[in-house]
Amino acid sequence: MTFEGRSLADFTVELDVYSGPYEWLLALILKDELEIFEIPLRELVESYVGAREQNGANNLERDTDFAGSASALVLLKSRTLSPAIDGEGEDPEDEALSPEELAERLTEYLKIRRAAERLRERFASNAGHHPSAHTVPPRPGRLQVRADRVTLTARRTFSRLIEPPLRHLGPITVTLQDLATMIRTALAGGPVSYEILTRDMDRLNRAVTFAAALSLAQEGGLTLAQTEPLGPLTLEPKA
Amino acid sequence: MSERNPRPEHLIEAVLLVSASPISSPDLSSATGLSKDEMETALGTLAQRYAPETSGIVLRNVAGGYLLSTNPSCSRAVERFREEARPAPLSNAAHEVLACALYLGPLTRGAVSRVRGVNSDAVVRTLLERNLLAEVATDHEAPGSPALLGVTDEFLAATGASSTDDFPPLGSLVSPEELSRVHERLTSTTAPQDGGETP
Repeated sequence: MTFEGRSLADFTVELDVYSGPYEWLLALILKDELEIFEIPLRELVESYVGAREQNGANNLERDTDFAGSASALVLLKSRTLSPAIDGEGEDPEDEALSPEELAERLTEYLKIRRAAERLRERFASNAGHHPSAHTVPPRPGRLQVRADRVTLTARRTFSRLIEPPLRHLGPITVTLQDLATMIRTALAGGPVSYEILTRDMDRLNRAVTFAAALSLAQEGGLTLAQTEPLGPLTLEPKA
Repeated sequence: MSERNPRPEHLIEAVLLVSASPISSPDLSSATGLSKDEMETALGTLAQRYAPETSGIVLRNVAGGYLLSTNPSCSRAVERFREEARPAPLSNAAHEVLACALYLGPLTRGAVSRVRGVNSDAVVRTLLERNLLAEVATDHEAPGSPALLGVTDEFLAATGASSTDDFPPLGSLVSPEELSRVHERLTSTTAPQDGGETP
C-alpha cells in the first residue's frame, strides 16, 4: 500500500535502536530524538533492498525518494562524526594530548561505555512496570490556594470581629456596676453561694452577675472557690 | 479485618496504591502511624503477596522507597488498555550520557561531551525531557555558571535501583586485562614511525 505523494509511507525498518515506519525514523532523527550515528545506514539500505518489489508499480519513484533521503542521512552522519569539516575546530587541548593523556581519556570512556551497556540491560529488565495512575492533588496552601478554605480559616481566625446575635436575650436592665455593688453588699456578711446569690435572677442577670464576680476577683475584691469542676461556686471576701 | 482497625499491611497497601511515585519508609510510617518493626513485618507480607510469580501487581523497592507497579508480564495488556506506546528505547548515546551522570556526576554538559568525545547536548535535552536527567546544581566557579546534571528518581525507578549505590563501581566494569590491551594498542599506534620499536 502506498500513499499518494509519499512513496515510502509503507516502508518499515527493524533496527536495534528503532523499529517502525521509515518516515518516522527520519522525523526522529531530525528532531534529535535519535542519534544519527546510532543508525546503521548499511543495514538500512539492505533493509530497503530486501523489501523492494522487483516489478513494483512505482519503483522508480520509491527508489528516488529512498536514495535522496538515505544520501541526506549519510551526509548528516558524516558531518556529525567529523565536526572539524565545518571549520569550527575542536578544543585546542585535544590537539596537544599526550599518549598518556589520550590513554587516560580512552580508559575513562571505556568504563563509561561498559557502564552504558550495563544500564541498557537494567533498563530492559525493568521495562514494563506501570505505577498507579492516581495523581495526588497538590497540597492546599502550598501549591494551590482554595478560596473557600482561605475564607473559612480567616473566619475562624478573626471570629471575634463578628458580633454574636443577641436578639434572644431580650432587653438588658442591669449594669455590671449595679451587680458588683450587690455582690459587695452580700459579701459583707461573709462567704456567699453563687447559687443563692442568683436564685431569684433570670438567665441574663445570672450571667452578668458571674461576669461581675469575675471582674471583682480580678481586681482582688473577692475569691472564687469551686472544689470540683461544675460544682457549687462560692464567693469569698478577700481577707 | 475490622474497618476501624485495619491491619498494618492493609494500611501500607492502601497508601502505596494511591501513589504514582516511590514512598520512603519515613513517609509511609508517618502516613500509617506504624512503628519501624510493624512496617518491616508488613512490607515483608506485602512483598510475598505481590511477588511477580503470584500477582499482576508487584511491590518494588526503588528510588529510596516502595512502589506498587504492574507486573511487566502484564505490560502489553496495560499498554493496550491505556492506548499508549512504551517510550522508544534509549540509544547507546543516551545510555552513555546517563552513565556519565551516574558515575561522574553531577557534571556539566561540557564534561559529558569531553568524556564521550562528541557533542552530547541533543542527547542531554532528550533525557531531561524524559525526566531521567535533571539539572541538580550550578557550577558557580565555571564561566557562565553551567548547570550540573544528575540522575533522577525516575532513572532509579526505571533501572530498578533503590539508590545510586545499587550500581557496581565504575572501576569494576572493565577488567585490568582489557585496560592493558587498550593501552598496548594505543601505544603501538601512537609510537613514532621512525623511532623503532616501542618499549
